[in-house]
Amino acid sequence: MAARGGRALLALCGALAACGWLLGAGAQEPGAPAAGMRRRRRLQQEDGISFEYHRYPELREALVSVWLQCTAISRIYTVGRSFEGRELLVIELSDNPGVHEPGEPEFKYIGNMHGNEAVGRELLIFLAQYLCNEYQKGNETIVNLIHNTRIHIMPSLNPDGFEKAASQPGELKDWFVGRSNAQGIDLNRNFPDLDRIVYVNEKEGGPNNHLLKNLKKIVDQNTKLAPETKAVIHWIMDIPFVLSANLHGGDLVANYPYDETRSGSAHEYSSCPDDAIFQSLARAYSSFNPPMSDPNRPPCRKNDDDSSFIDGTTNGAAWYSVPGGMQDFNYLSSNCFEITVELSCEKFPPEETLKSYWEDNKNSLISYLEQIHRGVKGFVRDLQGNPIANATISVEGIDHDVTSAKDGDYWRLLVPGNYKLTASAPGYLAITKKVAVPYSPAVGVDFELESFSERKEEEKEELMEWWKMMSETLNF
Amino acid sequence: MGFLWTGTWILVLVLQSSPIQAFPKPGGGQDKPLHNRELSAERPLNEQIAEAEADKIKKTYPPENKPGESNYSFVDNLNLLKAITEKEKIEKERQSIRSSPYDNKLNVEDVDSTKNRRLIDDYDSTKSGLNHKFQDDPDGLHQLDGTPLTAEDIVQKIATRIYEENDRGVFDKIVSKLLNLGLTPMAAIQDGFTNGQNDETVSNTLTLTNGLERRTKIYNEDNFEELQYFPNFYALLKSIDSEKEAKEKETLITIMKTLIDFVKMMVKYGTISPEEGVSYLENLDETIALQTKNKLEKNVTDNKSKLFPAPSEKSHEETDSTKEEAAKMEKEYGTSKDSTKDDNPRGKTEEPKGKTEAYLEAIRKNIEWLKKHNKKGNKEDYDLSKMRDFINQQADAYVEKGILDKEEADAIKRIYSSL
Repeated sequence: MAARGGRALLALCGALAACGWLLGAGAQEPGAPAAGMRRRRRLQQEDGISFEYHRYPELREALVSVWLQCTAISRIYTVGRSFEGRELLVIELSDNPGVHEPGEPEFKYIGNMHGNEAVGRELLIFLAQYLCNEYQKGNETIVNLIHNTRIHIMPSLNPDGFEKAASQPGELKDWFVGRSNAQGIDLNRNFPDLDRIVYVNEKEGGPNNHLLKNLKKIVDQNTKLAPETKAVIHWIMDIPFVLSANLHGGDLVANYPYDETRSGSAHEYSSCPDDAIFQSLARAYSSFNPPMSDPNRPPCRKNDDDSSFIDGTTNGAAWYSVPGGMQDFNYLSSNCFEITVELSCEKFPPEETLKSYWEDNKNSLISYLEQIHRGVKGFVRDLQGNPIANATISVEGIDHDVTSAKDGDYWRLLVPGNYKLTASAPGYLAITKKVAVPYSPAVGVDFELESFSERKEEEKEELMEWWKMMSETLNF
Repeated sequence: MGFLWTGTWILVLVLQSSPIQAFPKPGGGQDKPLHNRELSAERPLNEQIAEAEADKIKKTYPPENKPGESNYSFVDNLNLLKAITEKEKIEKERQSIRSSPYDNKLNVEDVDSTKNRRLIDDYDSTKSGLNHKFQDDPDGLHQLDGTPLTAEDIVQKIATRIYEENDRGVFDKIVSKLLNLGLTPMAAIQDGFTNGQNDETVSNTLTLTNGLERRTKIYNEDNFEELQYFPNFYALLKSIDSEKEAKEKETLITIMKTLIDFVKMMVKYGTISPEEGVSYLENLDETIALQTKNKLEKNVTDNKSKLFPAPSEKSHEETDSTKEEAAKMEKEYGTSKDSTKDDNPRGKTEEPKGKTEAYLEAIRKNIEWLKKHNKKGNKEDYDLSKMRDFINQQADAYVEKGILDKEEADAIKRIYSSL
């Protein structure tokens, strides 16, 4: 009885809210909650993080607030503009913002690439605020992370889509509206499909990394690429990212490469050469998210096929085939390892649930960040100590090489084991080293490469020495 | 006279111990997480199905479960609501059992990881009639065939959505749409509530004025003297320009009176306890004051032009609630407001104020941390001026890149220069 009455009275309260609103109101923004809920939301605030949906202006303001609070360790920048002109904002957190410190690995989080998948966007805003707060509180884990990593957070790759989705009333706010960008392009199908190329190379021989030669030219001339896609590709090319995650919604799982099936079928486990480390990375996320890693969790929808999910993780193609996705593009065009995280059964859940999504994902987000400090890392230099950029670092038994960045620095994520690493560069003699890799931290291995000309000089000198000795001995 | 009535309530009614929940209280928040969407998780599916079936039967053969409730059965309506809601819930669960129309996902790149539940929703004809009426336009105020909904329907629809989604935002949208579309359910509401208000003895003590008599009148200014017992509401009404927004005023009055009637009726039929009703009415006026104030603040925020116009967007979301807390901060630091813009004297200074407060708070934390961190030596002042220069430089750079507005940058620079 009382419950029923309570509900009906809620109706009255709402009407009351409408009363208050009428004062000077235009049409009420469908996406806006009742003014009366402000009280409740006040309770949903914690440490300066208000758990509510941020439209574009609020998103910008939230990032600016983080920057203002943590000026010494943060910087806001934009990688470009969406189709409708919104900036694709990124907030960077590191002890030396704006600067790549040699040897310091670069990390990125990207959210809301499908505009109606809103949880990732909000989580990333909360994360930025959280990292700033915790840093100032002296939280050791966070302080170390920020001192030793350069963290880039892009809450929304598709701000246009989000605005569309957020403007939908009630039930319509979910499945389709706002998914694609303002041109109707699904950004996660818009990247050049490098999977197909690598599958051919596997059979017929060819490079196993950085498959898109003349990348800048190709990107700028391709009319089919959305501005958001282009911006991300340039971003990936400019910064030597090592590890990344791409946040989505509509299910609850951590998904890893490859996303496209080898045979072209609808579902088929299609492992990439780094399957082992990717499984480990995906688990590092899912295992800290209770519902995601709950083995007894029912699927999001009764008839969903989540048979490929193990411990809250899945190979992309085993789940279902996705061509042209950003995740695989990262792996096959750059050194960056990226996974796709599906954060919520509902794509655009009610605002009141945001706090609990934060609670569920907070530890996962930090845990995944820490994964960047694994495997092997170091510098490739010449004998004079000068960095060799674009040297190739290959691992015996893994058909995927990485390259060194401008300062000669490289990072190679690996699961624990014994490995043979080889560094090589055109004009230099390759060097192979044996490494024992623990779970973490990353093992430091540097290479000093001798160039061919140097070796030739050396050999010439040796020859001269020998001739001199011979001539003296034999007296000629 | 209305106050007399309310007073009578307070005196006459015995205080029950039923807890009052789900009421807006200006000072306090809601303790219970009202917006737990998993309503169906509270009770086992079988039970709900059984109850829904039972209610369905009740619906087709309305019982006389209360004496003196011949024509208009309010409780029945609520039962109906509950049945509909649960039926809908069950329908939703059943739908997820149905297989996806897209088994081969390769072909449907748009679907991504999701089954096409919404399409099934739309075309499922097994839903109950009332839902189907609302189905295609969840927030709309017309039936599928275009006829406007009756007041009863509106109330039922609203309550259904609340049951379903427990989302007041949804409800607010519907109601505000109702108001803004200028749907004139005055007549409809009057008609809707006329049925069954027959118990004279009860209504004498409960009604503000004689029920039937009042309802046949048109709601206008003359009738709202009794509402002066709700001073904030009265003030709100007075503040509305009678000429320009006569309709809005009328609608407001109607809503208010409807609310009061609604409460009375629910008490009358035992849906809520008298104590709850009294409490609600006591809080009503205060809540109006609060929400009006909030709305004012929000309006002021909306007046500011954004980075670029987005036609579908009229006002943005609730402003960051840290602004309220930082209001004190603002006074402390005595930040000068941007008074060069006088087009909207009240509004313009309020909107930058809200954002400025948030920024102010952030800057304060930054300075605090800097001070703590630079305890060694006399670096304090030195660092502050260095920071100031850095901020100035960065702010300008950000404006160039489109990350900050010129006004925001100026505000930030001003804050730093005043420290």
